[in-house]
This record gives sequence, structure tokens and C-alpha cells, in this order.
Amino acid sequence: MKDILTPRERFGMLVIDEKPDRCPVIPLITSHAATVAGIKLKRYYTNGERMAKAQITAFEIYQHDAISIFSEVGLIAEAMGSEFNYPDDDLPVLKKPALLNGLHDKIIIPNPRKSKRLPVYLEAIKYAYRSVGDIVPILAYIPAPFTTGMHLLPPEKFLIETLKRPDGIKIILDTILDVTKEFCFEVINAGALPIIVDPLASGSVISPAIYKDVAMIYEQKLIDYLHRFDFDVILHICGDTSPLLEYFLQTSADLISLDRVNMLKALDKLSHKIRLIGNFDTTTLLLSNPEEIHKTAGMMVEQLKFARKGYIVSTGCEVPIKTPRENVMAFIKAGKEKGWYWV
Amino acid sequence: MELIGYTCSYIPVEILSATGLKPYRLLHGEITLSQQGEQHLRVDACPLIKSNLGFILKNQKNFACIIGSTGCDMARRWIEIVKSTTNIPVYIFNNPRTDNFEIYSAEIDELVSELEQFFHRRFDKSLIQKECEKWEGIRQRLIAIDGRRRANPSAISTTTFHKIMNFYHQGRLEEIPYQIPDEISYKPRIFLLGSPVSYESAPFIELIEQRLRICGDFNCGLSRGIHIKILEKSIEGLKKAYFYQPGCIFKRPNIGYYEWVEKEIKATKSTGIIAFVLDYCDNFDFEIHRMEKRFSLPILKLKSDFSFQNMSQMKIRIDAFIDVLASYRGGIV
Amino acid sequence: MKRTYKVSPKKIGLRTWSKQFEKISTETISRYRYYNNGEWGIYLSPPATFMVYGMRELKRLKFDNSFEALRMWGFVFNETERLFRAKQIGKKVIATMGDLGVVPILVMSFPECVPFYPECLWWTPFFKESTELLDTASKLGVPEATCFSRAVVAAFHKKAYFPKPDLIIASTGASCDDYSCVMQTVEDMGYEVFWAEIPYRKSPEFFLNKPKPQILEKTKEGFVYPKILEEHLIREYKRIWQALFKLTGVNNPHRLVDTIKKINTLRRLVMGIKRMNEEAPIAPIPALELMVIEFGNLYGYADFDEWLEIVEMIYHLVKDRVAKGIGVLKKDAIPIAWVTPSADPYLLNLVEECGCRVVTTEYVINQALVQIEEDIEPLRALARAFINASLIGSTEERIKKIKEKIVKKQVKGVLITNMLGASHCAMETRLIEKLLSDVPILSIDVPAPFGITQQIKTRLEAFVEAMR
Repeated sequence: MKDILTPRERFGMLVIDEKPDRCPVIPLITSHAATVAGIKLKRYYTNGERMAKAQITAFEIYQHDAISIFSEVGLIAEAMGSEFNYPDDDLPVLKKPALLNGLHDKIIIPNPRKSKRLPVYLEAIKYAYRSVGDIVPILAYIPAPFTTGMHLLPPEKFLIETLKRPDGIKIILDTILDVTKEFCFEVINAGALPIIVDPLASGSVISPAIYKDVAMIYEQKLIDYLHRFDFDVILHICGDTSPLLEYFLQTSADLISLDRVNMLKALDKLSHKIRLIGNFDTTTLLLSNPEEIHKTAGMMVEQLKFARKGYIVSTGCEVPIKTPRENVMAFIKAGKEKGWYWV
Repeated sequence: MELIGYTCSYIPVEILSATGLKPYRLLHGEITLSQQGEQHLRVDACPLIKSNLGFILKNQKNFACIIGSTGCDMARRWIEIVKSTTNIPVYIFNNPRTDNFEIYSAEIDELVSELEQFFHRRFDKSLIQKECEKWEGIRQRLIAIDGRRRANPSAISTTTFHKIMNFYHQGRLEEIPYQIPDEISYKPRIFLLGSPVSYESAPFIELIEQRLRICGDFNCGLSRGIHIKILEKSIEGLKKAYFYQPGCIFKRPNIGYYEWVEKEIKATKSTGIIAFVLDYCDNFDFEIHRMEKRFSLPILKLKSDFSFQNMSQMKIRIDAFIDVLASYRGGIV
Repeated sequence: MKRTYKVSPKKIGLRTWSKQFEKISTETISRYRYYNNGEWGIYLSPPATFMVYGMRELKRLKFDNSFEALRMWGFVFNETERLFRAKQIGKKVIATMGDLGVVPILVMSFPECVPFYPECLWWTPFFKESTELLDTASKLGVPEATCFSRAVVAAFHKKAYFPKPDLIIASTGASCDDYSCVMQTVEDMGYEVFWAEIPYRKSPEFFLNKPKPQILEKTKEGFVYPKILEEHLIREYKRIWQALFKLTGVNNPHRLVDTIKKINTLRRLVMGIKRMNEEAPIAPIPALELMVIEFGNLYGYADFDEWLEIVEMIYHLVKDRVAKGIGVLKKDAIPIAWVTPSADPYLLNLVEECGCRVVTTEYVINQALVQIEEDIEPLRALARAFINASLIGSTEERIKKIKEKIVKKQVKGVLITNMLGASHCAMETRLIEKLLSDVPILSIDVPAPFGITQQIKTRLEAFVEAMR
């Protein structure tokens, strides 16, 4: 089947509860775009134009349905004072959290247009929007406050403080929330739709109780902020979130991107209210062969394409940086073929 | 003044002729005339309209009046320009644009009344009957000539047929020859469609017929209009005959046009189609794609502004088209 | 209607609007909804939202900074979703094409029927700064040298801009030929089309003899026409009524009377806004917003009641600004008339930036601005209103009001926006230039999306210089 709609038109139909020509196919192609474009990762995440160009190159090759502006989730934490190492061929690595010594340490209230790598993102969004924004949605991945918090304190310390001094953590998270909102404001005015990513709120990392009492509260607040603009909000949480499924309904997210979850369960529990995104296994994507990927992905799409509120064919998490191109192509091909709706 | 100008096949020549003047169809298309028209119109106006304006500006004194029509947007607005640039009395006739017969019927009644008053003549039954017989007789002769053109092998070229049709459209009925020598051709047979073929379009037709034979057409300026069959020789009969003539492509829906052309293409055993499309003639430009789908024959689209500056290019394209005809797989060339 | 905050009038960009939007309470946002649906019908969003969803031109447009304008833009930009939602909740969506003024009134007189004009999509490629729709139209065989309304063909093909209409009513005849071809192309794509004919409005100078007074009639706007034209139109409207009856199973002429009253209320408000704009020493509202308001008269952007409220709100805003002697442009802005709407909204911004103010317009929708008589048989009233249509008669009639304003020195120049290859533009422009030669005239061919160049800006500046 030949596409009739542009990715932009397709996404537009999905979010108003209409069946587009086919399911949108949006594997989480983030830093993998640097590999596709043949540039060093460091250049990708430190230079907005490079990031955008790499994303556009990947889009031109793969013909998937969105541009993803993203490298890693430490972005806001870095702007608030955490220090990161920039390896040439890897993603930034947390070197020194801003609150290394405790909640009384100083954090910076960043200028979202100037601080650290925030402008890199904004530049990437502007470039991509200017270049291809008419035909493809530009998605900007925004770390949720909980995940950013885990980069402001050493992660284990953050979790302990959450239990021991919830008020202190709340102050930090409130501050992060304000910073995140301000950054979202800039992202929106640059032309991108913010996607909230909260990988460290995963069931693989925290208990359902902490998710419900802490992480989710801030996801909700951020989603409420974006809902004021009438955006369709995507929430992505990696890892195993099976125990959290029913909470997702409470976040009021419009689309939920899932990773290591039984999607049939998600279909049953969520799809009457939330559009589903996911969840092809990224290890298979990296290590398997195109034929196998095409077959497995096709089966996944056939199972999920009739989700009541709609479905986006995607990977459970980011496409691994070194994934062979032909594997990604096989995945996208399966998504397009099996995800076709129109007669 | 001996002429009454008109612009469309839906205006009955019998009624115009009843004024005692020669009905002169405004079908001029020539680059110098077009340039004169451009003094009053934008460059993106239809070349036929521009040429007709140029012609009228030069020949005002020959026209007692002009009956314009709403055949297309440009044709309708053209009459306004004629009015603002000349002293020729003008009248605008509402062409049928849908299957609504009532509007057309009322228009004919009004046209008759206007002409009677303007020319101080009564278009009584016998006058109309006489005109019907005269024009019907001519059309029968033209159909017979066209029959020889359509025969297999084709015995008359469209180059000759065009000359004859010019007499008809200019009201010079006495000049239509009775004897026309055979011009038998075994060249590939094609059907002509598209915008009106102007009086000055002979070089274009000759160019095509150097290597092909146009054995049928449905263009204004050629055979379109000769298939009007008057069953009842009265005003009411004229209304029916003209309204139900083979459908114009401008009518909505225009399925009648396609049905007629399809039948004609089969009847003439044409193996290809040439669509002659004037610059900015939106209608035909829009329809080409559909023609390709509907007729399942190779189509050569030739765009023109009547300048014939692109004759050598046209020649190359016609040559290539002949190759396509020889190995047809479908599609616009 | 209560406003949420006060600002002095000015034109602001998208980012400033986003900042200003933060001051609006969530309660206020949720108060404004179409089809009275609180789940998906909320439409109050800043321009940035629509920009994120692909309306790229909003990045460089300037908007009125009032809450009222925000409400208007939010409502207008939600139209695609609104049409799909209409269908989802069981309404009948009727495409009315080509007549620009009357057929939606008939449609709205049937329960749960929502009319819309696909041709209004001609702005979409410009708002999106995208040639996608136009390119798709070309791929479907539509010639490039035609009106931008050709985008409609692509929209019907893509099925992503409006739902499949329950009925398509296409008016043809003395109207735009490019669009007639578009409509025919739509039918060829497999859509069932109900055709209606618009006869030509023949004014007395296009008769050979002086017409007898008893065969003529005159509209309140001053257009003289043969009486029979009314009968032709009434017959067509009856056919349309029957088609709608067949579709809905309802036949209640009283609803038509009520709809006409509602339509007249809207038209009165819009004419009031236009008049205030024309007479005020300072422009109370930008030309771009004014154009959107004017075109809202066609069908109320698919939720007539909500649109009526919006326009009422804007009416009070304009009235208030005029009373206070405040506005959005400088006092010395040069008053001009605008003939034929621009497909590119940016041009309206640009003209104001160059120092002009648009005081009068001829946007080819005169028929949608006049009052419909309420004391005669409704179908006749509709016919008599439609007879004022801009494009069904002569060019001279079309611009006679502008001529009057030139004589009264209310406008100092005329801007004509054309489309290369569009049939009526090719024929009318020179004539308009000739007829309005008492003032400077600038005629611009609106270029393709994102195509406004320095050359056009320079021509506009020269035009302003000539008027000064």
C-alpha cells in the first residue's frame, strides 16, 4: 500500500480519534540518528543543527512518522547544575549530581534559552521544524521531574530521601517542575510537541507506591500544564511498567508509550481511554535479522492496530544506537504493511 | 453591417440567422490578434478570448451586435471587455451549465424577444421553419462530408474539413463546396479533442496530418455543433435540439461529453487521441487526466497559445507519439 | 460577555501570545467549547498550539492581542477536528461548494446538519507554508496554473481534512470556473455530487434593447436584474431542499425562517464591525482578523451558534475600542480598499506593516454580507440575497461600492490580489484598474506558499509612497 497521508496528517487524524490510512510508525529513533547520519555522538548532542540534520537524514532514509529531538534524560538536570562527561562516541554520563551532598546544596535555576545544552535542543527543534515541520511532527522528549530529580541527586540517595524526607524532595521536585514547564514553553514556541519521558519512574526501578505518590504526581502536573495548551500528551516510561498500568489512566496522558509490558493487557486496561504506543523489543531489533524482525513486528501490529483509541507502531524504548539500518527498515516496513487501515 | 457575432454552440444559429444577418462564430486564434487583446486583458487570459478581442477591435464596423455566452468564466467576462472597448451592442446568453432545461428555455425566449425588438423583425413560425430547414440542410451536408473523413480509409482530411467548417461558422454557407476530391489516407487514425480550433489553426492541423489522419473530433471550430438534430422546426424544437446536443465539457456533470466522445472514438476506429489545449484553458487542463483513464488510448497533449512558435517542438512530439501508437501501453505522452 | 483581562490593543506575535495565555485561568479555558462538548470541544489555545500541529505561518504572523481574537483563532483553527467530531457524534456533514453564501442556510435548517465549504481550505497551504496539498493535487492531474482552491482535490483524496460528506452540493454556472473544474474532479473521484445551477445576473447594459421596467428588479444593494433570475434560483433551492429532506427525513420550513433570523443577526454584527472599522479614525482591529470574521458569515465555521457568540464578543470589543479612540494601527495609516481575498494571510499583515489600513473589502462574498428579507417567502428571500453575489454579474457592478468610496475620498488606493491562471482574475484585473483609475492601484499575483519575496514588499512600499 502506498502512503496517502503525510506523517503530520496521519498523526493529526490519530489524535482526533479517526483512523488514518495506516498506523503511524514511530520507532524511538533518537541518538541512533547520529549513526545513520555518520556523525560522532558528541556532535549530535552538542550541536542543535547537527542533531536536526541527523534526524532529518534518518527520516529521509527510514520514512517513519516523526522526528525525535532527544539524546538523553540528564538534559534539565545538567542545566540545573549537575555535571556530565561528554564522551566522543557515547551519550553524556552523569559525573557529579548538583545535590551530591544533600538537599541543602545549591541548584541553578536555568535560563531555558541559554543554559547548558537546552539551547541545543531548541536549535534542533527550530531547524527541523523549518525544514520538514509541514509534513512531519517534531517531537521533543522532555524528562519528567522525577527522572530529572534522579540526576540531581545520586539516584539511590534520591530514592532514600523520597522516603525519609518527602517534604524536602517535594521542594526539589516543585522547582524541577517549574524549570521543566519553562523549558516546555520554549520547546512549544520553537515548534515541537513535548513528549514526557520518565524512564526512572519505571517499575524496574521504583515501587508502584513511589510511582503513585511521587513520580505520577509530577507527571500529572506537567501533563496538566500541556493540556492547557490543548496538546495531546505522550508519556513514555521504559522498562517493566506492568504494575503501573492502572495508574496511567490517572496521569491523564493522551498517549502512552510502553516498553516491557504485555501489550494485550495494556490493550485491555488502557486502550478505551489512551492511545497505545509500543512496544517492540529493542534487543531483538539490535540483534536479530530483518526477516525475523519483519515477521515479529508484523504480528505485534496485527494484534494492536485495532486498539480502540488508536495505536502507534513503535519500539519499547529507544532504538539502540548501533542497530543495523536494515533491521530498522524491516521494522518500519512491517509497521506500514500490517498497520494499513483503509480499504 | 452584415454580421451577428456569437460565441457558443448553444446559441442557435437559426435564431441569429433569422435577423437577416450572417451568424459569425467568434473563433479567432492568432498571435498578433492575441497581443492586441492583451492590451485589455492579463497575459493569463485565454488566447482565444484575447484573439477574439483583437479581431473585434479591428472589425467593429462589421458587427451589428454580439451575442456572448456564459460558456466559461472568461467567455462571459470577455463580453464586458467588448462593451467597454467598442460601441458594439452586446448581449449575454446564459449557457446551460447543468441539466436544468428551464433556465435554457427561458434564455432562448428572451434571446428571440431581444433580437426581434432590436432588428424590428418578427420571428414567426414560417421564418423559423425556413431557417431550420436551411441550417439543417447544411448540417446534413457537413455530416456527409464528415462521414467521408471518418470512413476507413479516411477520404477527407481534417485540414480540408476545417476549411469547410470555417465557412459554416462564419455564415458563408454558399461557399461550402459540393464536390470535394478524395484525399485517401492510410496514416494512423487519431481523434482530436480539446479547446476550440480557431480559424487560423490550419498550420497546426496540417502539422498533425503530415503523419497522422485526424478522422474525428469534438472541438468547437470543427465538427462540434453539426450533430444538432432538429426534430420540430420551431423555437420549441430548437430549444430541445440545442439543449440536448452532445454534451459540452463545461456542463456539470459532464458525463454526456465522455459518453459521446467514447462512442465517437470507437466509431472512427481511432487509435490515439490528440488533446489540443490552449494556455489557461483550465477546463481541458483539468480533464486530461480523466480522459486518459476513461478512453484507454494514448493521448498526446499539445499546449498552445496560437503562436505556433513551438511548431518544431510539436513536430518532434507528434513523431514520438507515432512511435507510442505503434507500441501502445497507455498514458499521456 | 466577561473578559478575563485587559490589555491595550496591539498586534503581537506568537510567543507573546503564549506568554499572555498563561494569564488565562483554566476555568476560562474550559468554558469555551464547541458542540458544548467538554471532552474534545475545548478550543481556547494560543497560536503556538496550532503552530506545533503544523500551521507554520503562525510563527511570523501578528495577531490582535485581545482575548476575543484568541477565542476566534482557537475556534477557527479547530475546524478540521470539529467536522470529524460532528460526524462522530452523529451529525450530518454537508459539503456546500461554489455558491459562497446561501446553501449553508438551507443545510442549517435541517436538524443536526453541519455545512462547510471545502474551498476555504485554500488558506491551508499558506497557513502551513506547505505545498503538500497543491503538489498532491498536481499528482492527481490538476493543472498548476489554476486557483489555489485546487488544494480541495487533494483534501478529498486524503480524507484527513474533513470527513466524508453525507452530501455534496456543488453550485456551478456564473461562478468561478476553476472551482467548477475542481468540483467536477471531485465527482470523478467517486463522490456523489448534487449539482445546482447559478445563472448569470444580467444587468440592463447586457441587453440589446432597453429592458422594460416590469421585467426588472433591484436588490437593496442596488443590483438591477431580470426578475426571472429569482425564479431560477428558487427552483434550484427547492431541489436542494428536497435533497436535504431525502437525507434527513425532516421537512420543516419553519426552521428555515429561524435560521434566516440567526443568519441576519450574524450579518448585522459583521456589517457593524466593518462599518466601525471603516469609520473609526484608528483601525480597531487588524485586517487579518477582519477577513476571518467576514468569511465566518459563510457558514459559521461549522458551529454557527458558537461562532455567533464569538462575533458578538468581537463586536463589543470593537465598539469599546472605537469609543475609546484606541486601535491596533497608527492613526496615519493610509486607508485602502482590498479587492479579491488573498490566499496568503501573511499579505494582510504585510500591508499593515507597510503603513496601510484596510477599510473596505470586496472579497467575492458580497452575497454573504447582505441582510436576508424576513417578511417574504424564505426561499425567495434567499434568492434575492444571493443575487447580490460578487461573481455572478459584471465586474463594474462588483466594484461600484469601492468606486463610491474613492469618490468620497474614503480610500486612497486599491490593492487587488490575484492568482495567476485563475479565470476571473485574468479577465477582471485590467478592467478594474481602468474603472478605478482615480487612485493608485496595486495588483499582486499571490505567490505559492512561503513565496512572498522582497520584490512584493518593495512594490507595496512603492504603492504606499504613491498614495502619500
